[in-house]
Formats: sequence, C-alpha cells, structure tokens
Amino acid sequence: MKSLSLMTGNAAAAWGARLARVDYIPAYPITPQTEIIETLSSWIRNGEMDAKLVQLESEHSMLTAAGAASSTGARVFTATSSQGLLYGMEMLYNITGWRTPLVLVNVSRALAAPITLEPDHNDVLAARDSGFLQLHAENCQEIVDMILLSYRLAEDRKVMLPAIVNLDGFYLSFTRERVALPDMKKVAEFLPEYNGSNPFRASRPVAKASSVLSSNLYSYFRYQMHISSLNALSLLGRISGEFESLFGRSYGPVEEFMTDDADYVLVMTNSFSTIGKQAVVRMRSRGVRAGLLRIRMLRPFPADAIASVLAGKRAVAVFDQNIAPGSGGIIYPEIVSSLYHLKNRPEDVFPVIGGLGGKQITMGEMEMIFEMMHKGHWSAEGPHSPLYLMRNDEIESVKKNLQIAGQVVRQ
Amino acid sequence: MLLRIRFHGRGGQGGKTASRILGSAAFDEGLNVQDSPVYGAERRGAPVTAFTRISDGEILERGFIFDPDVVIVMDETLLEDPTASPLSGLREGGILFVNSSRKPDELNVNLDGVEVVTLNITDMALELLGKPILSTASAAVAAKLISVVSPDAVTSAVRGELGEGSLSPEAIQMNVALAGRAFSLVPSFKLSTKENYSPGTVVPIGVISGMEGSEDILLVGNSALRKTGDWRIYAPTIDYEKCTNCMICYAYCPESAMVIETDGRPVIDMENCKGCLICYRECPTKAISITREVRAL
Ligand code: SF4
Ligand code: SF4
Repeated sequence: MKSLSLMTGNAAAAWGARLARVDYIPAYPITPQTEIIETLSSWIRNGEMDAKLVQLESEHSMLTAAGAASSTGARVFTATSSQGLLYGMEMLYNITGWRTPLVLVNVSRALAAPITLEPDHNDVLAARDSGFLQLHAENCQEIVDMILLSYRLAEDRKVMLPAIVNLDGFYLSFTRERVALPDMKKVAEFLPEYNGSNPFRASRPVAKASSVLSSNLYSYFRYQMHISSLNALSLLGRISGEFESLFGRSYGPVEEFMTDDADYVLVMTNSFSTIGKQAVVRMRSRGVRAGLLRIRMLRPFPADAIASVLAGKRAVAVFDQNIAPGSGGIIYPEIVSSLYHLKNRPEDVFPVIGGLGGKQITMGEMEMIFEMMHKGHWSAEGPHSPLYLMRNDEIESVKKNLQIAGQVVRQ
Repeated sequence: MLLRIRFHGRGGQGGKTASRILGSAAFDEGLNVQDSPVYGAERRGAPVTAFTRISDGEILERGFIFDPDVVIVMDETLLEDPTASPLSGLREGGILFVNSSRKPDELNVNLDGVEVVTLNITDMALELLGKPILSTASAAVAAKLISVVSPDAVTSAVRGELGEGSLSPEAIQMNVALAGRAFSLVPSFKLSTKENYSPGTVVPIGVISGMEGSEDILLVGNSALRKTGDWRIYAPTIDYEKCTNCMICYAYCPESAMVIETDGRPVIDMENCKGCLICYRECPTKAISITREVRAL
C-alpha cells in the first residue's frame, strides 16, 4: 500500500534526509532553500528525527563542516542555493578530493547580478566540474528518491564521492505535488548504515586531506576521482533495479519520453521538462513524431545512454536553461560530443536557450522549437547560434521597463 | 478533467494559503493536485499570484497558469493593476470571481462568455475573524464554483492547512464557519476541460550592447509616481483637537506616509498610506480614528 501525500519540493528534500537517517546537518539559510533546514530543525526539536543540526556563519564554513563531519564516518546532509553554492565553491573541490560521500541539495536560483529569486541552472552547473555526482529532479517524487539513490551511489566503495541533488526553486521548491513516501523499513534495507572508510577515531589517528606536492601523485588522484565518478553510471543501473523492486519506481540516468519512434527529440533537464512533455503530447496530437529525452544524471555524464536514444533521429534540439556568455548553452556541446562518433548521428542538433531566471515558457514557444526542427531551419546566424526564447509580449514589457528606468530604447 | 484555478491577492491576504486549502480539499476528494505560488521579494501588499491545478489524471503542466478556467480576484483594486493583470488569458466559458460589494454588472469588466460572480468576503472575514484574512473564504468560493469539491473536504482542508500554524482552536472554528458561509453564498458551475494552449511568438532579442544592455536606472526618484495606498481596508483620520503634535505617528509610520507640515501638524498622505494602522495604535492621545474603506482612492 502506497500512501500519497501532497508536499512541496522543499518538504520532499527534508523527507529524503530524514529517511536517509542522516547524522549531521550543517546549515545556512538562503531563499528558496531555507524551508528545508527549517523543516529538519523542527523535526529534530520535536524529537521526530535524531540528528545534529548546526547553523554555521557562511556557506563556506557550512561545506567545510560538512566535509569534515563526513570524513569521521557520519552521514551528512546539507542544502543551499545560488550565491550560497558559489560562496562555498572552493570547498566543493576540497570535499570531492577528500572523497567524502555527503549529499548536498541545491535549490536552483539564477545568479546575480541582476538579482532574482527564480530558477535557472547556472548555479548548479558552476559545480559541474567539481567532482560531485549530480542528479537533477523533475518533480517532488524524484527529490525524495534521488536523495536516497545519491547516498547509495556516493557511499559505494567504488565511488566515494559527494553528490548534489538539484531541484528548481519555486517550480519545485514551493510547488506541492503527490509524493509517495518510501517506507522507513524498506529504506533501511536499500540504504544501510554508512560505514566510512578510514574514519577519524580518537583511538586510531588518520591523516586526511594530506598535501600532495608532486605532480605525478596529483595526476594519479585526479584520474582516480574521474574513474570513480564514471563508476557511478554502471552502479546506478544496478541499484535502480533494487530500488524498483522495493519501491516500484526505477531511475536510469536519462528518461525517455515518447522517443522510441520519434523523429524530433528535445533534450531537457529539471522541472521545465514537464512543460516540454506537454508540448510533445500536443505535437503528437498534430501528427508530428515528437519526443523528449530528459537527463537525470548530469555527472557522471551518461554519454552512451544519450547516444543510443538520439542515434538515427532526424533532428535534436537541446534546451539549455543556463547561459555561458560568449559560448552559449552549457549542456549543448556535451550532447553534441556524445553524438559525434555515431555513424547515424542526427543531421541537426540545434541549441535553444530559455527559462533564464525562471522565465515562463508558453506552448507557443515550445511548438516553435519543434516546428523549426521539422523544417530543419534554424537561426539566420547559423545552426550553432541558439534560439533565445523571448516572446513579443515579453520584449514589449522589457521596453516599457527600460523606459521607466530612463534608458533610450532603440528600434 | 483538468481544472486550472488562478488566485490573485495581495501579500498578507492569504492567496498562497487559499491555493493550498483548495488543493488539499481536492486531494482529499481523491483527485490529483498541483499547487504553487509566485511572489518576489516584495513586502506586504504587493500582488501575489497562486495556482491550483486539479485533475483526475496526470498533470503534465507546471508553473504559471496562462489560461485559467477560474480566476479568483481577492482584492478588487487588482483589476486595474497592470503588474497583476488578473484577467489575462481567462478563457471563454471560464469563471471570474471578484471580492466586491458591487454586482457583477457594476464592475468594469467586459469579458465575452465569462461568468462573473461577486461576493464581499472581506466584510465576512472581518465579521467572523476580526481580520481581513481571505484565504479560507477564497478557497471555499473556488471550491463551490468548480463543483468537484464538497464542503466537508473544504472543512477538513481548512483544519489541516491552518492547524499547521499557530492558530487557536477557536480561530480555526471561525475559519471553518467562514468557509461554510462563503461556500453557501456562491453558485456552482459545470466546467468542461479545455486544452491548454498559451500562445507566444518568439522574436529576436535585438542587438543591444554595452551599457544599453545594463540594469541601470537613470530616472531616479520615480517610484513616488507609483501610488501604494490603493488597497487599504481601513483609513486613519487625525482629530487635530486631540493631537499634540508629538510626532510619534511620524516616527512609527513604516511607509513614510505621515508628513509633518511647517506648523508641526502631522498630515497623512492618503495616496501612499497602506492602512497598517500602526499610527492608530501608537498615538498616545488617541487622536487617530479609523473608518472602513470599501475602495481606497
Ligand atoms: S496607517 Fe498610519 S502608520 Fe500605517 S501607513 Fe497609514 S499613516 Fe502610516
Ligand atoms: S501620535 Fe497622535 S498626538 Fe502625536 S502627532 Fe501623531 S496624531 Fe498627533
């Protein structure tokens, strides 16, 4: 019997930590994440959860505490967002080097300046090369499940790397949806107690985070980190079957939505994928063979899984909800490089940038992406120039705002 | 079936809670639900929008509802607010509810094929709760309009959502009574599901560069042009017979809406007074009285 409840993405993240029976939660508030640590602290205060929560003086200290605690063999959970993740950035690279398998929830919020509260993925993708595993959630159910899966992956001896579970601010953090909470006993079966490797003990001293001044040692450990990260890909295949037999839901590194017989596939991540799926259904009802490929696991990057879905498609469009100024979307080149070696690679792979700062996307905009794929015709600047989603009504409102600000609006 | 309900209120009125009470009530009826608010970093009184989607199947939608079946306007002054534009996308065959003491045909809205319903839920809330908190009444109105949620489900959702806060059992009971009354006073409709289609033409963003693409504000000081006092529920009035010019009201007013004249008298800038009534509470000589305003400005 599954019991369903309505909960926000933030509540789902707190439940993930609670079900994982974490020992230690270093915390620092930031919108739209704060509800997660508030929920955890109220559970601890009421005696519903047995863990230590400490508020540090910054995200940098919070992540240092998280890594240090994890190296003692404690199961550690923490959460942040946007500027907070960037403020702790230096420690992300340290934590991965220490090989401490903690789980960090990032609630995506676009980066300042200009300052905003709504999501895009420049924050979490700034941590792309840190060595953290990354799982990106589409809905509130996945948040709970991904936290449990992340601890299993991170704590595996073949991996021993921390993980980020990403969820979109507002679109998930403050949105309530149906969630089936996994049964605590079954969770304990899936995710047993964590036994740290070489944990700090008063009786058994260990030196951790030792300095390595020779380049051959440095290279060796960096390669080890890369190979360990890749190990999480095959491991996900195995534990997702285990997860399914216990909870009835399975999670591969990618999700295929109507891709089997599709000619045109849109590649997306995170919560806006729901809007993409709605567009796919709509295009199908109009006779266009549309499909959507959602990347759940962004690190390690599931290049083979992506290639096997996209091989032989007529056209692919990659929706980046982020922008690398001077380059374009961040995920687009990764998709292209996973397809290049294919004999039957799609002829066109088009870049799209949209949803920056949580910009809402209409069905009209989504349809336009499929129509352009269908026509095989992209922007006048060439196939590598992204389609920047911005509607005429939005441009009008931008102009109005610029006028109020006293700026000269040309054209 | 997929019903999309959009709530428009002001920060502090309970728009987000309304969307959750409606969501919980529908969930209690065994339906699938998704609810969410959008708001910025603004203070009390700024427009807030919240959404409830209700379905008997999957909900393949997320975020802003562009084309609602039902719009609930919790504050009549929002009808004219360009940043809220509550009527946008309201479809033919849809329903508009406005919290107003006026009759539907007295409102200045012309929407073809839209049912307009009005009820003054502010006065009902003031009578039963003593406060203009509209979450319960708005949720109950929406539940009745869409016909798929029973009054019992609304009652248990009110208890569930408000019980998580710090409300006393008596206050929750009054909210239940308010929900019951609001539910009984509006009609119900049979809504057919319409396919969601939000149009939009992607246009080139244009060539802008350098400082033209910056967020600089060159015309400073123009926020004074935006009147923030249009949604008061009570208006303060100073009785100069009792006023001693002590300036305490001036010091306390959080909106700088209390102005000191050259003769030392405090004068209220009614275009920007938000009716928070702090001056009324703080005045040591009780020189400030309050009157209920149905429509400010
Ligand atoms: S009610 Fe009084 S304190 Fe409040 S905004 Fe108006 S003048 Fe200022
Ligand atoms: S607080 Fe009362 S007495 Fe003092 S200046 Fe204001 S209105 Fe007059």
